Amino acid sequence: MNFLGFVLAQCLSALSQAAILFFIACGLTLIFGIMRIVNFAHGVIFMLGAYVGYTTVAVTGSFLLSLIVAPIVVGAVGMAFERIFLRYLYGRRDGGAYLLLTFGLAVVLSELIRIIWGAQPLSAGIPDSLRGIVVILDQPFPLYRLFLIALGIAAAVTIWQFLERTRAGLLIRAVSQNSEMVQALGTDVDLVRTGVFGFGCAMAALGGVLAAPLVTAFLGMGTTVVIDAFVIVIIGGMGSFLGSLIGSILVAFVQVLGAYYFQDLALAFMYFLMLTVLVIRPGGLLGKED
Amino acid sequence: MMTRQTVTRRRILKGAVAASALAAAPAIMRQSTAAIPIKIGIPTVITGGYALLGSQVIRTCKLVKKMTDAKGGVLGQPVEFFYQDTQGDPATCARKCQELVERDNCRILSGVIVSSEAAAMLPKLEEWNAIFISHGNGDGRLTAELFVPRFFRANTSAPMGARALALYLKDAPEKKFIAIASDAAWGRSSNAAFEEQIKKVGKDLIDKIYAPVANKDYSPYITKILQSGAHGCYVALQGDEARAFYSQATQYGLAQRVQFFTEIVAQADIKVLGKDAIGLMGSSRYPLTYDIPQNKAFREAFMSEYKNEIPDWSDGEMYQALMILFAAIEKAGSPEPMKIVTAMEDLEVTSVKGPILMRKCDHQGENQGFVVKVAKNDKYAEPIAEIVKIYPRELNTPDCRSASYSK
Repeated sequence: MNFLGFVLAQCLSALSQAAILFFIACGLTLIFGIMRIVNFAHGVIFMLGAYVGYTTVAVTGSFLLSLIVAPIVVGAVGMAFERIFLRYLYGRRDGGAYLLLTFGLAVVLSELIRIIWGAQPLSAGIPDSLRGIVVILDQPFPLYRLFLIALGIAAAVTIWQFLERTRAGLLIRAVSQNSEMVQALGTDVDLVRTGVFGFGCAMAALGGVLAAPLVTAFLGMGTTVVIDAFVIVIIGGMGSFLGSLIGSILVAFVQVLGAYYFQDLALAFMYFLMLTVLVIRPGGLLGKED
Repeated sequence: MMTRQTVTRRRILKGAVAASALAAAPAIMRQSTAAIPIKIGIPTVITGGYALLGSQVIRTCKLVKKMTDAKGGVLGQPVEFFYQDTQGDPATCARKCQELVERDNCRILSGVIVSSEAAAMLPKLEEWNAIFISHGNGDGRLTAELFVPRFFRANTSAPMGARALALYLKDAPEKKFIAIASDAAWGRSSNAAFEEQIKKVGKDLIDKIYAPVANKDYSPYITKILQSGAHGCYVALQGDEARAFYSQATQYGLAQRVQFFTEIVAQADIKVLGKDAIGLMGSSRYPLTYDIPQNKAFREAFMSEYKNEIPDWSDGEMYQALMILFAAIEKAGSPEPMKIVTAMEDLEVTSVKGPILMRKCDHQGENQGFVVKVAKNDKYAEPIAEIVKIYPRELNTPDCRSASYSK
C-alpha cells in the first residue's frame, strides 16, 4: 500500500465532497446574510436543480449545458418566489414567518417534482469526457471528482472576487450590514434581495446537477445534504461567504476521515466539530456574534 | 288444565313467514357479507428515502385489487386497501398503524418497508387485535427473539439472502471478502448472517463496514475496499444508498478489481445503473425470470398493467404475501385475525417464487434461495437479473426462531 497515495486520495475525496457542500452552503449563507432568512427550502431547491439538469441532458444530450440551464431556471424560480411571497414579510421581525413560508415552498416543490418526474430515481450519467480514472501514486481516483474540485475552486474564487472587487458585490455587503442606510442612499435594496435569493438558489441548483452523477436524482436527495449545509453555515458563521467555504472543507474532511477511521462515530464528529466551534466562537469561525 | 290449540289462518301465515325467513337467512347473510370489503392496512413509505419501495408496494396492491375483484374477491368479498405514509420512521409507523386499526378498522396489516418499523409494530399487534404479514422486512430477529404469534413473514429474510450467497460462494474462486452494509437493523442482520455463513463455507471475511443510513459519499468506503485486498464484496445496501454506492464504485472502477455480491438485486438499481450493472451478482428476493405458471401470470399481468415497467423484488414479494394471505382467509373461511393465524400456520402455497411453507414454529415462510447475475436480455428494454442457481427452501431457511443455521 502506498501510504502517501492513500492519504492524497482521501484528501481529494474530501475536497470533492467539499465542493458539493460549498455550492449549497454558500447560497444558504448569502441568503441569510442579506435577508436574515433561514431558507428551509434550500435542500429541495438543490434537488430541483438535479431534476432540471437531468431533463436538460435528456433533451439536449449536453452535460455542460445542464450546468448552465439548471441554475438559470431554478434561480428564476427562486426570484419569482421572493418577489411574489417573501417580500411581503420583510416588515416583520419574527423569523417564524420565513421558516413557515420556506417550509411551505419545500413541500410544494417536492410534490411538484414527484408529479412532473415521478417517484422513480433518475440516472444522471456523466459525460464520456469526464469518465475514467486517474492513477495518483498507485491510487485510482475518478476524473469526475477532480472536475468537481476544479469547479468548486473556480466558483469560490469568482464569487469571492465578485463580492470583494465589484460594485455589485460592495452593495451586497453593504445591504447585509445596514440595508436601511443603503436604501436611504438611493439603492434599490429590493432588487439586491431578489438577486441574492435567486443567486443562492442557482448555486444550490448547480450543486444538485453536480451531485446527481454521484447519488442519482431522487426524491429526498436534498434532505441530508441540507442538514450538512446548515452545520457548515453555523461553523463558518451565519452570513459569511468565506466562512461557508472553510466550513465546507472542514465538514467534508471530518466526514471522509471519520468514515474511514471511526465509522461508528463519523456522524457524531461533524456535530462535535460544530459544538467545539460554537463553544470557542459562538458566532461561528468568521461570523459576528449577535 | 289443557288449552286447545286451534289452527287458524293467521297462525299458518305466521309460520310460513318464519319458515321463509329462516330459509332465506343464509342467502341474505351471504349477500350482506359480500358487500363488506376485506380491509387491509398498508402502512408504507410514501415520502422519504424509501419512497420508491413504497410506490412499488402501492402499485402491486392496486394490481392485486383489480385482479382479485375481477375473480369475485376473496370469500366473495371485495378487497380494500388503506394506505398511510410512515416516512420510514418507527414512531410514525406505529402511529399510522393505530389510525388504520382504530379509524379504518383494518385488522390486517402489510406493506411495511423498514425492519425497525416492523419491530416497533410487533408488541402492539395484540392490543390492536391485528395481524401483520411482512412482504419485505429482512431483519432476522423478527421471527427469532422478537417473535409474536400475530406476525408472519412471507418473504426471504436477510439471513436467507446471505445464506443463498454463501452456499453459492462455497465453490466460487473468490477467497477473501469484505462486507459493506447500511447501519440499520436490516444491514446489521445481513452482515452478521453473511459473516456466519461465509466462515462456515471456509472463506475469509476480512472486514465489515457499516455506512450511516442515508449516507451519500461512499468514497472513504470504496478506498477501504480497494485497500483491503478482498476478492469479493458483499453489499447490503438498499434503495438510494445502493444506487449511490454503485454509481460511485463504477466511477472508481471498483467492479474491475472486486466482484460485487449484493444482498438484494433490485431492478430499480439496475435501471438507473444501466449497462454498468451488467455482471452484478447477488441474492434475489424475486426472480423475475423464474419459469413457472404462477410467475408468468403475475409478470404478464404486471407488465400489461404498468406499461414499460418490470416488476421489482418489492412487487414480487408484496404479491406473494397477499396471495398467501388470501389463501389463509379462504382456508379459514373468515377474515377474522385469529382465524387467519390458525389457518396460516403450516399453510403451503405455490407462489411466484415456487413452493412456500408458512411454518408454524416461528411463522417464517420457507422460501427457495435464488442467486442471480445481471445480464442483457433482448426481451427487456433494460438489463435484468438472470437465475444462476436455486437452493431448496429447507436448506435456505434458518432454524426455527433463529437467524442461524445448524445444518
